[in-house]
Amino acid sequence: MANPSPTFPFPRRAPVRITFGLALGILTLFGLVPAVAVLVVSFTDLRGLPYIPVHWIGFENFIEFFSPAHWSDNLNALVNTLIFAGASTIIQIVFALGIAILLNRKLRGTSIYRSIVFMPTVLGVTVIGLIWSLMFNPSGGPAAEILGWFGKSSAFLGDPNLALALVTGVQIWAIVGVSVIIFLSGLQAIPHELYEVSSIDGASSWSQFRFVTMPMLSPAMTANVLLGVVNALQSYQLTYVLTGPSNRATQVLSLLVYVQGFGGKSGTTLSQSQGYAAAISMVQFVLVGVITFLALWYLRKREVRL
Amino acid sequence: MATRQSRPSWTFRRAVAVTAAAGTLFAVGACGSSTAAGDGGSSVGTPSASGSSGSAGDIKGDLHILVSSADASDAAFRAINEAFSAKYPDVKVDFSSVPNDSYPATKSSRLTANNVDIFVVKSLVEVPEYAKGSESDDALLAEGGGLVDLTNEPFMKDYTPSVLQAQAFKGKQYMVPTGLSYSTGVYYNKKIFSDNGIDVPTTWDELVAACDKLEKAGVTPFGIGGKDEWPAGLLMLGSVASLYPTLDDKQQLAKDLWEQKVKLTDEGPQGVLEKVAKIYSYAQKNFAGTGYDQIPAEFAKGDFAMTADGTWNEPTIAAAVGDKFDIGYFPFPGSDNADDNKFLNGKIELQLAVSAGSKNKDAALAWLGFFSDPANYKTFVAKSGFSSAEPNIPATDFLDSIADYTSTYQPAWDQVWTANNKAGSQAVYPFNYPAIAPMGKDDAAGAAAAAETDWSAAF
Repeated sequence: MANPSPTFPFPRRAPVRITFGLALGILTLFGLVPAVAVLVVSFTDLRGLPYIPVHWIGFENFIEFFSPAHWSDNLNALVNTLIFAGASTIIQIVFALGIAILLNRKLRGTSIYRSIVFMPTVLGVTVIGLIWSLMFNPSGGPAAEILGWFGKSSAFLGDPNLALALVTGVQIWAIVGVSVIIFLSGLQAIPHELYEVSSIDGASSWSQFRFVTMPMLSPAMTANVLLGVVNALQSYQLTYVLTGPSNRATQVLSLLVYVQGFGGKSGTTLSQSQGYAAAISMVQFVLVGVITFLALWYLRKREVRL
Repeated sequence: MATRQSRPSWTFRRAVAVTAAAGTLFAVGACGSSTAAGDGGSSVGTPSASGSSGSAGDIKGDLHILVSSADASDAAFRAINEAFSAKYPDVKVDFSSVPNDSYPATKSSRLTANNVDIFVVKSLVEVPEYAKGSESDDALLAEGGGLVDLTNEPFMKDYTPSVLQAQAFKGKQYMVPTGLSYSTGVYYNKKIFSDNGIDVPTTWDELVAACDKLEKAGVTPFGIGGKDEWPAGLLMLGSVASLYPTLDDKQQLAKDLWEQKVKLTDEGPQGVLEKVAKIYSYAQKNFAGTGYDQIPAEFAKGDFAMTADGTWNEPTIAAAVGDKFDIGYFPFPGSDNADDNKFLNGKIELQLAVSAGSKNKDAALAWLGFFSDPANYKTFVAKSGFSSAEPNIPATDFLDSIADYTSTYQPAWDQVWTANNKAGSQAVYPFNYPAIAPMGKDDAAGAAAAAETDWSAAF
């Protein structure tokens, strides 16, 4: 039995060890083991069906990924992923900050507004996809009606020039709620005295925002940016539901993995290899890892500076 | 101050916590094996070649069937299942139908978990010499012994020999053909045609003239469900069917493309894309955002005069149109020569195979035998809209009306072409119809050039 110490004020460590060990065990089994398995599979030509022999083929999958034939598809997917992730993260954080500042005042009905803002996060991806597919129905949907007042019409999600922008917009709508909650809790932790002191010193609202609110919000900002970036770089569910897996205008890297691993386009004889899909997801892992590490390094530096 | 002795209430609370944690673990672990528990009553099948001759009393247990979904065929399968359960009351039939796009994933996971007995196989064909290395998953599955060999099953004799010959794999039969369907035709609204004095077009020029006439009269000529992408591909199949009419022509084109003797930017292949682009220009506004499922309703409303669709969808279109007007069907006339446009191209519809790891082969073979029995197959064909794969089955009125176009079975281009995994995705079909505006951003020449770049990069 351990004595209580400043760092661990409980008499026994056994409960912590048991529960932590259980959780770590589950996480290892369902998180780490599949991840390592994907790394191993990326060096084989696994097909995902029983009775088909599996061979170890080394780096052939990676060579094929970077080969000239696939390069234009992969570049297209990479560019789509970066645009989608970048735009949705930046815009949703700006919106979330604005909404959080508005909701932080003492208005009547703040809880109703908060529920409305948070509701999209609670709806499932399929429900969101269905709602917005119906909204963007070019023959008679609400968006088509509104455009009709201006005398225009559009194919919305079918238009290759518009599709990515629309999907990004729906993604922002769907995830802004979580960021708002994080910012709200950060805002409510800022002591009021700081605002009083700064206004006595003659600071305008904008100066207060720049020199009081933003620095005190750094931890919340770090959390939001990291969560947003990692999520957005891997997110494919909304794109899949709204525009399908093999639409060139909105195909992101995760969808490339999905199409290769779980089904070529219907109506083709393209055969799928899950080994190649695993290789693509390894490349995506490296991409996400690098970007996340850079973001984390910059944000930590910023926090320390303040 | 915390005591070192455990109070009774703490012990109780700890016991509850541990039990809850263990219970959660157990429930999570047991979730995945619930289907295995359900198989407890099935007879462990020794592979029997005459399983279908077992009496109704021997066949019992669970039977899992997985098919890819289409409204009409789903209803037809359910009717068969009801009749089957009436004849074999001890078998519990679990039928799932999954949309086309998610079918490969579902099939893969269910085969790996080994809880499917009968399922649909796609592209189980032998690839030609020049395309070795591009076998489909199901071809590899058959080669690896994952499908039960059905060649000597008694129920295979019910099927038309030419159909069986067309689907033989390395001389053996691995699947039951549920029917034939034709993919290169065009449904048309007879009332709109007669109101505007238009006859059924038999050449490309006649089709273009008819479309121009309809546009002048303020009627949209064509309806396409572009959002799902593949319905626009039916136009591509129709063009290939007219520009390369016989099976030999198509096989020669495939061989020449693989051996790089013909380029996708040559006159013939690019001509296919030019015809598709022309029809796009006659289609309804913003068709790239219209889903395939909306087309029957809009056709019934009279929003457009024609739509390129397959005979599998006839029950749905007829149900949507009802009594409003008569509908007809003609082959897509992509050629200037009327003789080339005479026949519809088709494919063998859903092909059912039995998994070699199936836990209930007796029931699976009994089901297939029941399905193939002409008395039951008749109901299936009537409900599903497929053409019959068995001889002497009475056809629906609609199929009788197109009998001239289907007197010789011609496989469509997508049955002849082998896609190349090593080529880029714009050369899959390989005619790059999704890239043509407004589905994509190019014109016909640009789409053909992009496809040629992707195709030749594979060699």
